[in-house]
Amino acid sequence: MSSVKFVDHGYADPDPAISAGSGPFRHYELDSAFHDELFHEDGTPRARARRLGAALSRIPPEDLERLQDGVYRRFVHEGITFTVLGVEDVSEQIIPIDCVPRLITAEEWDHIERGLKQRLTALNLFLHDVYHDGKSLRDGIVPLDLVLGCPQYRVEMRGMKVPHDVYVAVCGTDIVRAGDTFAVLEDNLRVPSGVSYMLACRTAMKWAFPYLYRAYGVREVADYPERLYSTIASLSLTADTPRMAVLTPGRYNSAYYEHAFLAGEMGVDLVEGRDLVVHDATLFARTAAGLRRIDVLYRRIDDDFLDPVAFREDSVLGAAGLFHAYRAGNLVLANAPGTGVADDKALYAYVPRLIRYFLDEEPILANVDTHLCREPDGLAYTLDNLAELVVKEVGGSGGYGMLVGPHATKAERKAFAEHLRNDPANYISQPVLPLSRAGCFVDGRLEPRHVDLRPFVLQGREEQHVVPGGLCRVALRKGSLVVNSSQGGGCKDLWILRE
Amino acid sequence: MLARMAANFYWLGRYAERTENTARLLEYQLTRLVDTDADELALGWRVVYRALSQSPPHAPADVDEAEAFLIADAYTLTGGLVEDTTNPASMISCWGMARENAREIRPRLPLPVWVCLNQGFLWLQETEFADAWGEGPAALVSQAIDRLRLLAGVVDANMARDDAWRFLEIGRYVERLQQQVVLLDMWDRIARPDGDGLVLSWVDLLRVCGAFEPYRRDRSLTLRRSSVLGFLLRNPEVSRSVRYATDRIGSALRGIDPAGGRPPLAPPHRMVLRMAAALELDPGGAEPPPDGASAEVFESLTRDSRTLHSLIQTSYVDYPVAAGLPS
Repeated sequence: MSSVKFVDHGYADPDPAISAGSGPFRHYELDSAFHDELFHEDGTPRARARRLGAALSRIPPEDLERLQDGVYRRFVHEGITFTVLGVEDVSEQIIPIDCVPRLITAEEWDHIERGLKQRLTALNLFLHDVYHDGKSLRDGIVPLDLVLGCPQYRVEMRGMKVPHDVYVAVCGTDIVRAGDTFAVLEDNLRVPSGVSYMLACRTAMKWAFPYLYRAYGVREVADYPERLYSTIASLSLTADTPRMAVLTPGRYNSAYYEHAFLAGEMGVDLVEGRDLVVHDATLFARTAAGLRRIDVLYRRIDDDFLDPVAFREDSVLGAAGLFHAYRAGNLVLANAPGTGVADDKALYAYVPRLIRYFLDEEPILANVDTHLCREPDGLAYTLDNLAELVVKEVGGSGGYGMLVGPHATKAERKAFAEHLRNDPANYISQPVLPLSRAGCFVDGRLEPRHVDLRPFVLQGREEQHVVPGGLCRVALRKGSLVVNSSQGGGCKDLWILRE
Repeated sequence: MLARMAANFYWLGRYAERTENTARLLEYQLTRLVDTDADELALGWRVVYRALSQSPPHAPADVDEAEAFLIADAYTLTGGLVEDTTNPASMISCWGMARENAREIRPRLPLPVWVCLNQGFLWLQETEFADAWGEGPAALVSQAIDRLRLLAGVVDANMARDDAWRFLEIGRYVERLQQQVVLLDMWDRIARPDGDGLVLSWVDLLRVCGAFEPYRRDRSLTLRRSSVLGFLLRNPEVSRSVRYATDRIGSALRGIDPAGGRPPLAPPHRMVLRMAAALELDPGGAEPPPDGASAEVFESLTRDSRTLHSLIQTSYVDYPVAAGLPS
């Protein structure tokens, strides 16, 4: 790292002369079907991108290559990895990071931030309603069978008092820019991941482009661990300074680095199920000096595996009796069990209605058009237009179990149609979104690639906080719209500008 | 701290120490390749392999151990202890295990420590053994030793002297204690007049233990067996003496004990104090006992160091739940 000289030209004045298709951007091909984050359709740079474009135009490609390599080596040495479970072995992989930041203006961010707060407020109210009065179900806002039939619905949570009615304390919402508007693609309300990569990208970019970073006036994200700690601690009922821990499935989990990172940054223990003991409806961790009580658990394992007594009896990842301690009020879990019912892809279609119902407001952030295959019309439309649609499993994630119609072969579409007919309630379909494209440095060239965005929202006892940044995922394969790291995606830093 | 984390710090210390021990023994042997005759070299390999409790290399059924080492070549013998991932005692395996332990304790491990350990492992993993051998047989293990000493320095500079540090120290010195006892016992068995009748240099033993210079200052160049063994068993200031290891373990256990070393002592603490007393009160005093007695000393040290390991596990890691409940 130290051998890489600074090549940052962020101190240079914005240069209006740069343009897509010429000079260092000669390989940058614009496509009017997609919003480009750097350039207008006529090839001139957007106002926010002028300084970035000028800096990039002054850096020789070999220096950019060195920077990219320096960032990569930094990730390797620091072990910023995700685990991939193969058929025969387990390997650690580095998530590819692109060294060109994506820029979001203050005005754009204000819109996103307000929309995210509104959305999470409505979803928390909905979850309380689902597990108590069920008014929204009785009023027909959401079909009852959609909720009760959802595998993530936890009947064990019925009537249970959740501390401060905060079901979702940590939320990661996937947002795309399609055309000139931002739209929510999905809500992640169970154990959203990726925040450690956001922080790692930021540290790397500050190293790579110190002057550019300063010149742009980027909003800071480094206080996320403190905010996460205070958010979760604020939910405690039993202690002013609760004893907190992060619960991980262990080092073979794909997000283990993140679990370890967050526990370390918050200064709390990283526990596994084998470290935990429930005694007298109280959760304890085995320490070298005996058992020590835990008041608050930031759990990063799915509901199913939390407690073999309450949920999946073959789980060895949780602790027997943990849910009992939770019900007894001796433990706070963040997020609460059963939140998955609200991030089901079928329920997603009803979120705008929920916002209107619970908050009496119009949704600030739009949803993507969604066809529910559980409904006859939705199924018929999906089957008729399979070649133009993206079809997803309602409980799926990570880019698995989905069909991207335009990229699928005839045989693949035929096979998928069979799945749809056999189990229509398990699928939704959406149009192929024209995900916006951001400038990336790939194979020694500056080229556009499709991106999305996952901001993180924290909901404490009283405060709500949207992290001014997020995980920006990028589909590094040319033309690909799939940004998941498991499907060849990478990430890049997201700069939210102060002005 | 979490019991599992304590165990991982302990094992991190053990595996890092084990890796260095292997590298040090190999360096001793490999630097002798240029000017030592074949019989002596074969003896050296026997020492290295026995000290590491490793089986001799594969050889025809009709040859004995000594001849097996004579037949095998240095490249193969070294490779088996450096790069052979199927050998759990090889340097790459031990370093990898240290790294796995470190992954489990990342929230408690300072970033520079992780980076240093990880870089070292990746370096060894990516190094082509054959190419490295071309730079000189001892070059690779010498570099490995440098990296391990750098790691020790980074640990020293970055870790708070808390329980994590103490368990790391205990692991490191329990491993050193066990390895040193095996090495001294084995060296003595081969070198003593009624032993195998082979010539092993006491200077070499001191050099392998990094104790030649302090020995020379303390006892001049009088290289009697009893003097050398006594020095390596009982000197409290030499980092590879048995006494030094028991002192460091005792000190770390005193820090972990909530009573700060006041009675009642935790079982591991009692055991290590007993070992220190046995060393001190041995009839040999500053000098080792006459021939015949030291074998018993080694036997009891071997037994007690294994018991010490078990007591650490049962006292801090695998204790019954009922024993751990708050009073």
